Amino acid sequence: MNLWNLIRHITLKHFLLRKTQMFMAAAGICLGVTAIVSIGVVNKSVLYSFEDSFNRVTGKAKLQITGAQSGFPETLVEKVQAVQGVEYAVPVIETDGMLVSGKERSIMILGVDVLVDTQVRDYSLSGDSADVPDPLLFLAKPDSILVTKTMADREGFVLDQKIQVQTVDGIKNLRIRGILNPEGPAKAMGGNMAMMDIYAAQMAFGKNGRIDRIDVSLREGEDLETVRQAIVDALPQGYMVDTPAGRTKQVEEMIARFQKGLDLISYLSIFVGMYLIYNAVSISVVNRRKEIGILRALGCLRRDIILLFLGEILIISVIASGIGVGLGLLAADSLVSAFGKVISEVYVRTSVSGIHFTWFYPLLGLACGIIASLMAAFFPARASSFISPVSAIRSVPYAEEKFFTTKRLNIAGVLSLMFSSVIFAMYKFIGDSPLTKDVTLLIIAQLMVAVGVSFFTPAFLKGFVFVFNRFFASGFGTAGRLAGLSLQKNLIRNSVAVAAVFFGISVFVASVGFTHSIKQSVVKWLDSMIIGDIIVTSGHPGSSANAHIIPMPVEMAEQLKKVPGVKRVAPWRRIFMQYNGRRVLLSAASLARYPGFRNDETHQAANRTSNQKKDRVVVSEPFAAIFKVKKGDVITLPTPAGPVKFDVAGIVIDYSSDAGVIAMDIPTYQRHWNDMLCNSFFLAVHPGANVKEVCAEIQRSFGVERKLYVLSSLEFKEEIHKILDDEFFFNYALNTVTLMIACLGIIVALLASVMERIREIGTLRAIGTLRRQIYGIIILESILMGVAGGILGSVAGIFAGWVSLEGFFSANYGSAAQYHLPWSSIIMILCLSAGLAALSGVIPAQKAAKTNIVEALSYE
Amino acid sequence: MNKKCAAVCIFVLVFLMLPMAYAMNGRDVFEKVQAVRNSKLDQKVDATMMLFDKGGGKRTRTLTMYGKDASPEAYKILIVFNSPADLKGVGFLLHAHTFADRDLWAYFPEYKRIRRIPATSQDDSFFGSDFSYDDLSGPPDLDDYSFKILREEEMIDNKPCYVIEVTPKKPRKYTKYITWVAKNLWIPTKVEYYRDKELYRSGTFKNIRVIDGIPTPFEMEMANFKTRHRTILTIQYINYNTKYPNDLFTQKTLERGAK
Repeated sequence: MNLWNLIRHITLKHFLLRKTQMFMAAAGICLGVTAIVSIGVVNKSVLYSFEDSFNRVTGKAKLQITGAQSGFPETLVEKVQAVQGVEYAVPVIETDGMLVSGKERSIMILGVDVLVDTQVRDYSLSGDSADVPDPLLFLAKPDSILVTKTMADREGFVLDQKIQVQTVDGIKNLRIRGILNPEGPAKAMGGNMAMMDIYAAQMAFGKNGRIDRIDVSLREGEDLETVRQAIVDALPQGYMVDTPAGRTKQVEEMIARFQKGLDLISYLSIFVGMYLIYNAVSISVVNRRKEIGILRALGCLRRDIILLFLGEILIISVIASGIGVGLGLLAADSLVSAFGKVISEVYVRTSVSGIHFTWFYPLLGLACGIIASLMAAFFPARASSFISPVSAIRSVPYAEEKFFTTKRLNIAGVLSLMFSSVIFAMYKFIGDSPLTKDVTLLIIAQLMVAVGVSFFTPAFLKGFVFVFNRFFASGFGTAGRLAGLSLQKNLIRNSVAVAAVFFGISVFVASVGFTHSIKQSVVKWLDSMIIGDIIVTSGHPGSSANAHIIPMPVEMAEQLKKVPGVKRVAPWRRIFMQYNGRRVLLSAASLARYPGFRNDETHQAANRTSNQKKDRVVVSEPFAAIFKVKKGDVITLPTPAGPVKFDVAGIVIDYSSDAGVIAMDIPTYQRHWNDMLCNSFFLAVHPGANVKEVCAEIQRSFGVERKLYVLSSLEFKEEIHKILDDEFFFNYALNTVTLMIACLGIIVALLASVMERIREIGTLRAIGTLRRQIYGIIILESILMGVAGGILGSVAGIFAGWVSLEGFFSANYGSAAQYHLPWSSIIMILCLSAGLAALSGVIPAQKAAKTNIVEALSYE
Repeated sequence: MNKKCAAVCIFVLVFLMLPMAYAMNGRDVFEKVQAVRNSKLDQKVDATMMLFDKGGGKRTRTLTMYGKDASPEAYKILIVFNSPADLKGVGFLLHAHTFADRDLWAYFPEYKRIRRIPATSQDDSFFGSDFSYDDLSGPPDLDDYSFKILREEEMIDNKPCYVIEVTPKKPRKYTKYITWVAKNLWIPTKVEYYRDKELYRSGTFKNIRVIDGIPTPFEMEMANFKTRHRTILTIQYINYNTKYPNDLFTQKTLERGAK
């Protein structure tokens, strides 16, 4: 029999008859594809934007030398220049400035030696690439700044205009002495950058004698690796000498963890979609048994039956995936800026203005949608081919086919859970293996938890119905008893519907539990870390990447102490530095902030006076995990004066940076790094002092000379919570997608389950059951299935979420986070499940109640 | 007869070759130019630099230039800006150890620090003007170039000139330049810089006067066709054979503004 004829005459007819069911199954796949495409495109766009900006400011440099964020001595330029094979070594300052005039916004300031820099970067102050009326004046005056045309147009800046920029020394008036046309470095960061002569930038940003980077070009014919090694040998320990591509890769690796989490959820959503397809095909097989029997009796081969079902799903999945790709691109376009903002605040400055389109993600989404659908449909399609023509035509009930025996299902469930446990154990105990670096295994482990638990659905449903019949059914009268009996009678068929409900809910609960636990752990940590009543910063208070913070001189502490009501002022300095080839956060405040070090001030004092003892640091769990460091070890840190050994006094929880945190007392930092700047001040007020009034007084005292954020500790925590919410925005969005798919699953499963019982309903009507009672039975049955699926799904979701937190989070971040039950979400999803189940029962119940008894009895 | 015939032939041949023996090639012309440039290494110049931008805007600055024949090394140059007030004290120092090996420094008073300019920046703009550092430096090393006479008689400002194509042997920001060298004076009267076949910069040297026996252009104009920007350098005062001491050409003097 021709497959096309089968599809044309049978499939299309079914599509039309079961429009809602087909639409919802397709919608599940569509949403899954939307999630994959949008997350993939957004991730790619952010990386592309970063790489593009990076390459623009890199120019012809073949190697880049970086050190701690506090900068390093400019005298190193001469050392590098003297290395054999180096053509040019040019110094660079890459820092942040805050535009105070106009719209307040953070900009990247690139400080370059204009007299030398053209050897490495392609631009000219007097050529087409810039409108600088007097290059000599630009060079001669330290207040000179060049802004990009993009920024000038956006902010309404004109040549010779004075602009106010927040710097380390407070608000400075800089004069625009030229406009850079949007090409070369001026196109970096979407034009959100300004250029200064390096010495002007040093003066303005408190980096006298210091630079942030050395860009190196090589003489022709020189071997890159040889020159790189020669530079490493020529420099003190702790400097990173890498190719621009290597540095981009570092950032990619840094962001990858964040992106992995999103990928994880986006792929889970397609798996939820898969279950919808599986469910839709399973129900279709049950409904069309007679038709399958007839086709088989007419000579249709088993292969044809499988192909028929797969052909149907292929049509649905191509359409759904196509729409999903379109929706994914639209979603990516609207989400990309918000995503870029989160990356900027948490990891590294980037500016994303739009999506960077490549065919990869649309094609990947399309392929995932189609392949996942076909995979999901294959098993029930294959099962359909084994339906015996005789039993099908005789209308032998589905359960008697023994497709799924409870015993087999339980065995499959146990095997799935064992498999999942093995993967989890791998993550937990050998987190560093190359296998566990890949998120795919964890997705499989999570899925196997869900799939494994779903195999126990018949057993669970049996118990659930037993409990209902025993304790609750009588409370609902006849409807309750009949509903209970009906569920019990068709256990296997109802299990398919319950499993579909279960699966969506389990993924949702797992995802919400993971997100909720991390957020709660961070909030708890923050609460213990923030000491004092007031926090003073000169930039965005929650920025962990320092992209929006202009450091302040530490002497400001003395001025702050003079503000009435202020009792104590503690500075906090945060810089990123290179440690063993990786970027880590150095946090200098007081170690007494960490639990376990609270009553340890004496050691701190001893530290300051004794040079015999090594200074001490504490390191965060991710740092300890990444660098295999334990308490009592000695680590060597690169300081501007050379390598210095530090005792590791403890491993602490610190979520400031997933790249790893080294914390030390600020006097220790100042002594070794010779950096007298800080990012924030923590202020304690005198007992009885009004915190609000002290905040206002600080603003009055410092507001003219510098832009400050003065927040009470409560406001600061609220700001951090907002940042966390921003960070988790995408997780929330993806949770919503999985929730929507779960809801679709509930509706599809229960709608189909009720629709296929029209004959049974006719029988009930024939023996005198009232319409009202029919209505009640069906809705109650639906609610029971919804609740059963909800409970089972929540249990599996909690377990899967815990696995994810313990496995994925620990292995990827090296950080422990306590699992927090997302109670409110679980209660919400249970209510939603019951509500949607009831709703799904309403239409078929109405239909059933109105069913003509004769027609219903003749319905097959 | 044969002897007579041979003598006539030799006479004709010698007669025909005589002009060739006296004809100059490009390198010869430039050696003459080099000799003139070498003769004015010891100098003091007060000049006005006027910069005209593409919009017609004009900025004027004055500067003083000191030069010294630094034998056995090549030469030293110190340039200090006198006005406007914003630029007063901005300076430029050049030590040419040989005609090919030069160290360049700049000084900006508001930073109070001396900055090295890489020797490879010789073709970059001299402090935002249309002249390059090379234009305002001393004579080059002729071995770094190849010379070719394009035309021998072309009148510029009523002066017959050799038209010579000069091609650098090492990579420069230009691929060649064509210069018009006034016969007998041995100074350029016009120059055109090319990147491949594109003319991007052109200069003229006018108002040539002979000071202490040295022909000297008192007005030099350089135009950049890419930026549509031009600079006119006008000499107000010039004195040759100054014989300044070496300590005028130090970084300390640069910091002091040649005081």
